[in-house]
Parts: sequence; structure tokens; C-alpha cells
Amino acid sequence: MDIYLPIAEVSVNAGVLVLLGAVVGFISGLFGIGGGFLMTPILLWMGIPPVVAVASEANHVAASSASSVISYSRKRQVDFRMGGVLAAGGAVGALLGVEVFRWLRLLGQADLVVSLSYLIFLGLIGGLMLVESVGSVLRQRRGQTTTKRRDRRPVWLYGLPFKVRFPRSRLYISIIPPVVLGVFVGILSAIMGVGGGFILVPAMVYILRMPAGVVVGTSLFQIIITTSLASILQAGRNQSVDIVLATLLLFGGVLGAQFGARASSRFRAEELRAVLGLIVLIMGLQMGLVLFINPEDPFILVGGGE
Amino acid sequence: MVTPAIPPPEVFVPEPGPSVSAALTDANVRVTSAFSGAQIVLYGAVFDPETRPSDVVVIVRGPDQPIRIARKVRVAGLWINSRPVVFEGAPGFYMAASSRPLTEIASFSTLRRLGAGIDHLPMNAPEEERIETRYGVRDVVVSRLGGDYLEWRRAVIRLKEKANLYATDHDGVRFVDRGLFRAEIDLPTSAPIGEYQTEIILFQNGEPVSRRARTITVEKAGLERWLFLFANERPWLYGIVSVLIALTSGWLASVVFRRR
Repeated sequence: MDIYLPIAEVSVNAGVLVLLGAVVGFISGLFGIGGGFLMTPILLWMGIPPVVAVASEANHVAASSASSVISYSRKRQVDFRMGGVLAAGGAVGALLGVEVFRWLRLLGQADLVVSLSYLIFLGLIGGLMLVESVGSVLRQRRGQTTTKRRDRRPVWLYGLPFKVRFPRSRLYISIIPPVVLGVFVGILSAIMGVGGGFILVPAMVYILRMPAGVVVGTSLFQIIITTSLASILQAGRNQSVDIVLATLLLFGGVLGAQFGARASSRFRAEELRAVLGLIVLIMGLQMGLVLFINPEDPFILVGGGE
Repeated sequence: MVTPAIPPPEVFVPEPGPSVSAALTDANVRVTSAFSGAQIVLYGAVFDPETRPSDVVVIVRGPDQPIRIARKVRVAGLWINSRPVVFEGAPGFYMAASSRPLTEIASFSTLRRLGAGIDHLPMNAPEEERIETRYGVRDVVVSRLGGDYLEWRRAVIRLKEKANLYATDHDGVRFVDRGLFRAEIDLPTSAPIGEYQTEIILFQNGEPVSRRARTITVEKAGLERWLFLFANERPWLYGIVSVLIALTSGWLASVVFRRR
């Protein structure tokens, strides 16, 4: 059934959107991520204008994250204090990101920055995840034990001022690194139309040294706050949230997320990370491909003039 | 090419001259959630006491939309966009349908004067222009795009044609019976909202002898209209409502699944 979207002003197939929402929702529940890095490129390929895709996707990510965060919170796997600190940074980042995106569109360079961000961040993180998880899967198959060598007190966490206690993460660290991380992810989420979980989760483990158990839940909690805010800002500032598009996506998305969260217990963490790394890597390369292939037409209409 | 000039006989006939008349099957296009483009049929008739050879041109011009266009350039092995150029005076929709190719109907200057045909659209890139004194001539308009200007203009038209927003149809106006003609106007889904000026021009001997104007209104209706107005008139409230819908449905899904 084709439906005309009131803000995007294009006609799309409603069934396809619900199905896509469900598939991305399933993946997001399975891996504990928002799924924006998958959905935004799909929406762009379907012909949804980039501004509307990015803004409406923030809404969809908020919904599927809310759907799965509650089960993490019941298992006491959400560090609300850390999430709040990250979200405070994320709020500033989202504000900056919405303005940066407007400015890039006026310069006609929004496409370039979006493609490059996907290529660099998804390519890098996907590649690292894949190498790391395949390595640990192989080591386990060979019966070797993983040797973890960790500097327990890195200077950027313990040397900086404004230390705060995070009981659930069992950390007593400076507030500066999480705030900076939050700002960075907030900017990316406004520009790339993603929640930023694919960056937050590894950053929490490797930079903030948070225990693995609370990482996914906390990341989802921070994503809900950042994307909700980004969504309100995009609607208020750019009038670019398509409520019909978002509702169709989240209808499938919240259901898919629940099934995904259930399925996740059947797989091992390393195998899941390897698959996720592969998906992230492919998505990054696919989005970056446009920078390398010869364009069909040397001219392109760019939006943002209205 | 111009039709060979036949001595105008109307000077000998005291009756009113030839005229054209037209009507649209649908002058009001409602964009609802089921909207997937629209086809409007224009019917018209040529009234002429004499039966002189007549040509009819139908021009449909949608609301103006500034166009930003960039050129892909290769920098360090990467294809990136150049600085965008803004074209003004370009309609969001344009169709020129005629009973014969426009160049056979009237002369270049006549078509230019009437703004008939895509080549005669008065669109330009004012931001790229500056006024100079050249060879002692004052107020010469010079475009920064230089010799490439026509290439940019052609690219705008080519991209718009690809999106079905611009069209030239050399036999889009068909005479179905003596003096009775019809033309079809195809609006794609991406057709802009607003008023479309439709002009029907009757040509005889390469000169416009009669003109009629009709207006097509494309407007959002029903739920589409309500949501669009809500998003534009109360944007912050709209944003909060959409987030509440998202969070509530996420929460509901998790409650429903927990009970199972």
C-alpha cells in the first residue's frame, strides 16, 4: 500500500517500511544498538530527503531504544548516573550538530560529510570489532584463554579534576571524558541520523573502562535522551520530522526489538560482535562507495535552498 | 522555422477573430495520504469562422522554487560537490505541450517574449552575476560561471526532466476533432504544492492570436494537511508529541512482551 508522507512529500510503500522497521528493530534488540546507522542509509536509498530521513530516524531510534532499555533496567544493567552525564554532553552535541548540519547543507557539502562520516567511523569501528571478535572466537576454539592486560588507572580518567562516583559501574573517575564523549556522539547523531551506540559501546569499554555488563543498557539510556532531544530540535528548528514515517518505522521497530532481545541470549557475545562488526563495516563501505565511483551525471541538485 | 506567411484574411472579415477556449477535468488536486501523482486532462476548442491552420500550445507553470545545483568534482581521488549555484526564477513544475514542435510554430523571438518552452524560462543565477563595465559599455551582466553557464542551465533542466518535473511534448496537444483538442498534464508525486498557471495559446501564422489562462491548485488535504500545518505552525509541540509517541510505544511493547 503506497502512502504519501506529509513532510517528506514522497510516496512510499507502507508495508515495506513496517517490515524494514521490524528487521532493523530485530538487529537493534539483538545487539543492543539503536539501529540508526542501518535505517538512515536505507531511507536515503528509498528517496526520502536527507533532512527528513535524519530527523525522523532519531525518533525511530528513541522508540526502539526505549523498547529494549526497560528490560536492561530490570536486570540492573543501566548506570543511570553515567547515562545522565553522557546525555548532558549529548544534549550539547545534538544542539551543535543540528546547526552544523544546517551550515553544511548551505555549503552543499552535507552529502560529502555524511558519506565520509559513515566511511570513517563505521569502517574503522566495524573493522576493529571484526578483527577483535574473530580473534577471540579463534582463541577460544583453540582452547587458549584470553590474556587481558589492562592499565587499571589511565591518567585521562583519574588525573583530571571533577571526580564523581559511579557506583553501578564501580568507578570513581573524572566527569570530563564522559561529557566529551557525549558531545562527540551527540554531534554525530545529529549529522548521521544515528543514535551513536556503535561508537558509545566500544568507547565505554575501552576508554571509560566500564564493566561490560552495564555498557549496553547505559548506552541505550543515553541514546534515548539524546535522540529524543535531537528529534524535538529537528522538529522545532527545521520542521523536518515526518511523524507518519517515524510511526510506520517504530511500529515494526519496537516489536522487532523485543524479538531481537530474546534471540540475543542464544548466541555467544563474541559471535554476536563479529556479525555486528561485519554489518557495520559493510554499511560504512557501502555509504563511502559513492565517493569513489564515477557519477552518472556530473551535476546534482542539492537541497537547502528553501 | 516559421510557417510561411499567408496574407491575414481577418482584415476583410468584420466578425470577431479566432479564439481559443479550454477547460480542465480537475482544477483542484488534493494531496492526501493516497496521493501518487495526478493526471489532469485539458480540453479545448478553437473557434475560427475561417478554417485557418491553427497551432495550440499549452504551458503549465508550477510555483517558483529556487534550485541549488552542484557539480561533482574529483579532489584527491574523491568525488565531491562543488560550491552550489542557486538558480532563481525556475518553476517547481513546467510543462510545454504543443501540437507541433515549438520551433515550427513560432519564431525564436515570439517564443522568448511569451516565455513558451523550457529554453525560454527566465531562470538565472543572480548570485553568480556581477555588473561590470566592459569595453566602455556600462552595466554589463557577467556571470562567474562564464562559458559554462549554459551547461549548468542545461543540467538543471536535465535533472528536473529526469524527476518528471519538467517536460516538453511536441505532440502533447492533439486535435481530436475539427477545432477540438486535448492535452494531458501529468503531475508526479513530487510536484510542489501551490498554484499552477496554465496558459493555452492559439497560434496562427506564427503569431499568438488568442490566449486563455486556467489555474490548477495543488493542495494538501485531510490528515496530510492537518499534520503539515501542525508541523509548521506548532513545531515544538509537534516535536514533543512525536517523541512521546515514540517513547510510549517503546514502553508499551516492552510491557506487552513481559506479560507473555
